[in-house]
Amino acid sequence: MAIAGKIKQVSIFMENKMGELTDVTTLLSKNNLSIKSINLAEASDFGLLRVIVDDAAFAKEILDAAGFSVKITEIFAVAIEDHVGSFNEVVRLLSENGINIEYTYTLSNKEEGAFVFKVNPAMISNTLQLLRNSGVKVLDRV
Amino acid sequence: MLWNRIESARREDLQTLQLERLKDTVERVYTLTPFYREKFDEAGIKPCDITRLEDLQKLPFTRKKDLRDHYPFGLFTVPMSEVVRVHSSSGTTGKPTVVGYTQADMDIWDEVMARVFTMSGASSEDVVHNGYGYGLFTGGLGFHNGAETVGATIVPASGGFTERQLMLMRDFQATVLACTPSFALHMAEVASKAGSDYLKHYKLKAGIFGAEPTSKGLKEEVSKAWGIDYHEVYGLSEIIGPGVSCSCKESELLHIFEDHFYAEIIDPKTGEVLPEGERGELVITPLTKQALPIIRYRTGDITSITTEPCKCGRTLQRMESIVGRADDMLIVNGVNVYPSQIEHVIANAEGVTLNYQIIADKKGHLDKLEIQIEVSDEVMSDNVSEVEKIKKDIQSSLLNNLYINAAVKLVEPRSIERSMGKAVRIVDKRT
Repeated sequence: MAIAGKIKQVSIFMENKMGELTDVTTLLSKNNLSIKSINLAEASDFGLLRVIVDDAAFAKEILDAAGFSVKITEIFAVAIEDHVGSFNEVVRLLSENGINIEYTYTLSNKEEGAFVFKVNPAMISNTLQLLRNSGVKVLDRV
Repeated sequence: MLWNRIESARREDLQTLQLERLKDTVERVYTLTPFYREKFDEAGIKPCDITRLEDLQKLPFTRKKDLRDHYPFGLFTVPMSEVVRVHSSSGTTGKPTVVGYTQADMDIWDEVMARVFTMSGASSEDVVHNGYGYGLFTGGLGFHNGAETVGATIVPASGGFTERQLMLMRDFQATVLACTPSFALHMAEVASKAGSDYLKHYKLKAGIFGAEPTSKGLKEEVSKAWGIDYHEVYGLSEIIGPGVSCSCKESELLHIFEDHFYAEIIDPKTGEVLPEGERGELVITPLTKQALPIIRYRTGDITSITTEPCKCGRTLQRMESIVGRADDMLIVNGVNVYPSQIEHVIANAEGVTLNYQIIADKKGHLDKLEIQIEVSDEVMSDNVSEVEKIKKDIQSSLLNNLYINAAVKLVEPRSIERSMGKAVRIVDKRT
C-alpha cells in the first residue's frame, strides 16, 4: 500500500535544444494531463524536467511511447503558511534530523502554497513520519 | 593436449618450414596466376628473390577487392576438376567473394580444425553441438569436418530454432558447443526461462566461439551463462575459414597455426610491417593452399602478435582477440582509436545504451572528438549531478584507457541517426 504523503513526480531527460519543452507540454496537454508543478534543472548540455501531474503513470506511458527517457521519482509536498520563516522551519527540522534535501521547488493550488522536497528514497517514510509528528502539514495529494 | 607435434616445434624449425613453403607458394602464384605475375613484375620481384621470410615484405598485398574483381574463379590455380568444394562470403555490396578447395586444401582445413577441437579439450569422447550455419558460409562445415576428424560425435544443428536446439543439447548430452557468441548467449537466455538451475539439464564443458568480434565482457557472460571454458576461434574464408587461430586453456590469446598461415602486422595507413607487440592490421599469407593461394591478404582486422612462450607448451605465436576493423580506425591528435575500444568503455558505463556516434572534427589545428551517447529508456537518476557524473566517468575512462580527450554528450533515446536499423558509428568531418 502506498504510504500517504508520497507523491509521484515524472522526470524527463532533455537535450538542450529548441522545441524540447514544447514537445513535452504539447504531449501532456493533448492527453488532458494538467501540470500541477514544473521544475527544470539544467546542466551544460542537457536538462532534467520534473513535472507533477495528476496521473504520473499515464504520463510516463505516453512519454515513453514518444521516445523520451523518463523516470518516476517519489517526492513529498509540505503546506507552508504565508509568513516569514515558515519554509525555514521545515528545512531546519529536516537538517537537524540529518535528512539531506536533494532539491526543492514550489507548488501552488487553489487553496494553499506548498513546497516539494526530494530526499533520499530510503529516508522518505521516516521523513514523513517526522514531519507529521512535528505538526507539519504534509499534502496527501496535489 | 596437442593434435600435432608441430604445435610445439622449435621456432627455428618452424621458420625453416615456413620459408620452404613460402617459396613454393610464391613460385606457384607467379607461374599459375596472371594477376600475381603482373603484380610481381610491376614490383620488379621474381620468385627467386624470396630467400628469407622477411623478403615477403617486398611483395604486394592482396585485397578483398582483388577477389571480387576475379569473380568467381579467376584466381584459382587448379582446373575445376581438382576443386572439390567452393564456399562464399556474404556479399553485402555487389558480388560475393568465392573461395575453392582441392582435396589437399580440405585435408589442411580438417587438420587445423582438429587442432582447434583438441585445444578446447574435445576428443572422440565428446558430443559436439554445432550451431554454426551450414551452407556457403565456412562456419558450419568447417567445424563439422574438424569434429569428425577428432572422432567426436557431431550434431549438425546449424542455426535457428533455439528451443529445438536446446532440446537436442539436453537429450544428446552435448559436451562441446560451437556457435557464434551471440547465439550462445541467446540460447542461454531462452534456456534460463526453465528456472535459475537450468544448467543442471546440460552437460556442456567447453565452447568454441567465433565469427564475430567479441568484447571481454561478452566472453565472460557466455562463459558464465553456460558454465564452460570459452575458446575463441579466428578465421576467414579467404584464408581457409575457421581454423586460422584459436585460444588454448591457458590464455585468451589465439595461437596461430603458423605452419600453414604466415602472419604479419602492418600499419594500415602506410603498409609498413610493425614490430612485435604493436597493434595494426593482420595480413596473412597461406603457405600450403593449392586451389586459391593468396599473397599477403589484408584481413582488415586489427590485432597484435606475440611470440612469448605459452604455458600450454605450444610455441606458435599468439594474437589478441580482434580489436577492431582497419577501415574504422580514427587518428585523433596522433592517437589511434578504434570504435570498438570506445564501445568497450561505453558498455561498462551505467545509464547509457550502446547507441553512440563518434564525431571527429577540427578546432583550429587540433582534432576534437565528440561522442554522443543515447541515455537508457529510463533515465538513471533525476539528479543533475548524478547524470553529469555518468558523462564525466566516461570521459575520464576514455582519457585513462585510450589516451583520448573526448567530449561526451548524452542525448535522448533514438535520436542518433540509424542506417538499416544500426546507428551510424562514425562521422568524420575532418575530411
